[in-house]
Amino acid sequence: MTVDLILFLILALVAVATAAGMLFSRNAVYSALFLVLNFASIAVFYLLLGAPFIAMAQITVYAGAIMVLFLFVIMLLGAEQLAPIKVLPWQRPLAIGLAAVLVAETAYLLILRAKPAADIIPPAETVNTLGELQRLGMALFNQYLLPFEVTSILLLVAMVGAIVLTKREKGERE
Amino acid sequence: MNPTTFAAILPEVLLLVLGILILVVEPFWKEKDRRNTGWLTFGGLLAILVVSLLAGRPGEPTSVFGGTIRFDWLGFFFKMLFIFAAAMTSLFMMDVEKLGRRGESYLLLLASTLGMNLMASASDLVMLYLAIETTSIPLYVLSGFIVDDEKSTESGFKYLLFGAMTSAVMLYGFSLLFGFTGTTNLYEIAAAVAGAQVSTVTALGVIALVLVGIGFKVSLVPFHFWAPDTYEGAPTPVAGFLSTASKAAGFAVLVRLFFIAFAKNGLAPDWTTGLAALATLTMTLGNLVAMTQTNIKRLLAYSSIAHAGYVMIGVVAFSNLGVTSVVFYLIAYILTNLAAFGIVAVFSRVAGSDKISDYAGLSRRSPWLAMAMLVAFLSLAGMPPFGGFVAKVFVFAAAVKSDLVWLAVVGVINSILGVYYYLTVLKVVYLYRMEGEAEESHPIPLTRPYGIALVVLSLGVLLIGTLFAPWFSASGAAALNLF
Amino acid sequence: MIWEWLIKALVLIFTLLIGFGYLTYYERRALAFIQSRLGPNRAGPQGLMQWMADAVKLIFKEELTPDNAYKLVFFLSPVVTMVPSIVIAAVIPWGPPVTLFGQTFNQYVADINVGILYLMSIASIAVYGIVLAGWSSNNKYAMMGGLRSSAQMISYELTLGLSFVVVILMAGSMSLVEIVEAQREVTWFAVIQPVGAILFFIATLAEVNRHPFDMPEAEQEIVAGYHTEYSGMKFALFFMAEYQKMIVISAIMTTLFFGGYLGPGVDRFPWLGPLYMAIKIIILLFFMIWVRASWPRIRYNRLMAFGWKVMLPLALALVFITATGILLADTMGNPWLMAIIPVLSLIAGWIATLMVDRSLRRKSYA
Repeated sequence: MTVDLILFLILALVAVATAAGMLFSRNAVYSALFLVLNFASIAVFYLLLGAPFIAMAQITVYAGAIMVLFLFVIMLLGAEQLAPIKVLPWQRPLAIGLAAVLVAETAYLLILRAKPAADIIPPAETVNTLGELQRLGMALFNQYLLPFEVTSILLLVAMVGAIVLTKREKGERE
Repeated sequence: MNPTTFAAILPEVLLLVLGILILVVEPFWKEKDRRNTGWLTFGGLLAILVVSLLAGRPGEPTSVFGGTIRFDWLGFFFKMLFIFAAAMTSLFMMDVEKLGRRGESYLLLLASTLGMNLMASASDLVMLYLAIETTSIPLYVLSGFIVDDEKSTESGFKYLLFGAMTSAVMLYGFSLLFGFTGTTNLYEIAAAVAGAQVSTVTALGVIALVLVGIGFKVSLVPFHFWAPDTYEGAPTPVAGFLSTASKAAGFAVLVRLFFIAFAKNGLAPDWTTGLAALATLTMTLGNLVAMTQTNIKRLLAYSSIAHAGYVMIGVVAFSNLGVTSVVFYLIAYILTNLAAFGIVAVFSRVAGSDKISDYAGLSRRSPWLAMAMLVAFLSLAGMPPFGGFVAKVFVFAAAVKSDLVWLAVVGVINSILGVYYYLTVLKVVYLYRMEGEAEESHPIPLTRPYGIALVVLSLGVLLIGTLFAPWFSASGAAALNLF
Repeated sequence: MIWEWLIKALVLIFTLLIGFGYLTYYERRALAFIQSRLGPNRAGPQGLMQWMADAVKLIFKEELTPDNAYKLVFFLSPVVTMVPSIVIAAVIPWGPPVTLFGQTFNQYVADINVGILYLMSIASIAVYGIVLAGWSSNNKYAMMGGLRSSAQMISYELTLGLSFVVVILMAGSMSLVEIVEAQREVTWFAVIQPVGAILFFIATLAEVNRHPFDMPEAEQEIVAGYHTEYSGMKFALFFMAEYQKMIVISAIMTTLFFGGYLGPGVDRFPWLGPLYMAIKIIILLFFMIWVRASWPRIRYNRLMAFGWKVMLPLALALVFITATGILLADTMGNPWLMAIIPVLSLIAGWIATLMVDRSLRRKSYA
């Protein structure tokens, strides 16, 4: 067992545990915090995979910006205590059934694809010849130029939409 | 940037320019002049249509922007359709209260159209997903645009929740596809799938996941729950746009994705069988539930679900003729359904109601509107000489040619079911009278934008139904790009 | 190898801890100097042991935990505040490599090629401690302090990020070591992009909740903000975190804009590097104290308006100007064309100042 593998197993455990904690916590703030931990452990996965940029972006964007806003809203609304959920009678069996299907599917895929995933994950050498950042920049502004630009349109529109839905016209304020 | 590259995204660039123009110009107009943004949008969209037809026509299919965009007739044809639908919708939107005088609503419409354009031409999963989101997010906002109307808010919210959920599932599918093939380009994925790199079972799993997202967009049956509620609450022109252009965009993605990426021999029979089952379900459920509706927007919603089923027949046929019939059906359907929703918008603006029973006496209150309704509904029902008839004939013919006679039979039976409820509405319009009132004292005035749009659409429906050869050959040219 | 890291990390942590102690002393003396007072001068020669006395006092103070507090989070949040302020220092280079016992040692804990992103991510994590402290106290004022701080830090993080982008553009790298070395070839980035340096300074003031942006703990309005309910050592941790952040952020600013460890003779005597760093840091810290002594706290809505309507557009303009200047110098092959960057950005900064001034004069801000 290499150090990486041990690290991975520990982190995987943390990631799963925090994800479960997020789901089962009865307090919205704790849920959010568990999710932050989950994001952090996933960021370390990226580090282990040799992708520090994505790891840092993950922390900055998800843990640092989005989850802070979540917490902000939860606290501002004072909505941290979740009401007990009414469980529909067929919900639990169905969920368990679907989960079993998912597990079976994953197991099947794992066994089916016994051959190492060498063709999927690019070998480490190609990543390191040119700095990861430069590669990312090249890809973003050459091959993925148009999607990149479209993202900005999407964000602009989303912003306009958010303002439309929340801003009251003058004199409309109660 | 070489000219082909630029021509490939010419309509999108122009749409963006128009949108920004509206965003900049609108605040400088006085409150009472704001309705003019509608005319600006309409004029701009027409100009874009003309310019694109003149300068942006594709030649041989080429991949541009690093393979993220496919520049071919299929995409181009759909793009023109979307721009036309947006132009008509902008006319319908102008006189809707709290919507027509806000520049933002037109900007959102344009942005959504831009997204649809990209959906029609995207040949890369990244681009495709972004395009779908660019289409959906403005539409979520437009559905919930009238903030102080609970129905509208509910509509927007439902649409958002369903949309977010299904697009997440679809994204799983995309990520699996990328994981198994190592590329996001549709054509390279096709090669990988054909090269037996992906087993049939995994491919079908991926297809199922992807289908959730697309099925939501085109309102296929297990994913249709949002449609009636959203159409009912959304501002009527927006509902019209949702049920036509947005749906057509979904089909554009569907054919490109399935016919290119999953066209591998031996794989296709599996998914066509599944889709055939879905098509049957969709048609039958849509038509049966539509019969019991008392609200015209909900009726049109279920009818549009049923129509998604008919279009699906063309997809299932999995042939050149099939795609041709899909494209042709969508042309006819967009014209017809836009007209139907436009009429509903006109009526509810005056009468303040969407109940079918309130349409009583419409033929006397406004003969021309009733006439337009007759055209639209008969075309929806699939009666000659209107567009809907020819479209259905082609779709069923495609099914028969691909040895799917049973599916064609199901389609025909469903059309007969459809005739029933379309004619029920027309019965109310033409045969019933308003109770205890003189219809002449309750006229339904048509404002100019409505007039223009309805005339254009009604004539279009007639034109498609009679002189269908040029449209058919154009659809055929578009379909050829997939094979 | 692992021992090298450990020793370096320990040295860094202890430097920061001692630095914290002397920074409090420095601040009090400097404030006193500005206000024509003497300041603490009893404990030890010239009051130099004052921080020790304070520390002893804080350690022996009674620790209070409110009855309705969320105990675990209440206990953890000082730690969560403290840790980022230390780990963020890991990527800062303190000097050029030195040779000791025939071996070369780098004067940094880690040089990662996404150093600036590391700074960004740690800075964005830092907000949690304060927000959670405010929430877990179960106290209205504390909560308000926490909310204020999260809104403020998120808003100013954008400007901070864009100032980073300016530096990245000029250095062509995200590694802090390479950024310092890039300044060896040209000149301090503060000279090329003076307005960027100022923006960075303002944004960092907001990030570490220093005057005039210390809204999360504005004592006239919300008692003591997020740490209202804290006392004893837990309070001391918040206190420590704030001052360590001041030191670290000054070190970062030195690295990014003021040539880091560079100075005359640093190549021949690498040990001069940390000395130069220290001098630059002390000068920057003085600016922070000076601001505290002379500026009133600004009102909250103005703080947010300033962040979004002035800082952010200006930072965007600076990124644009910098990129244009670099592109121009590159394509023309004449590095002197870089001179348009300071000129244009000073003009942009001047326009922004004028506009702020005008809007302040025109209306009394409802």
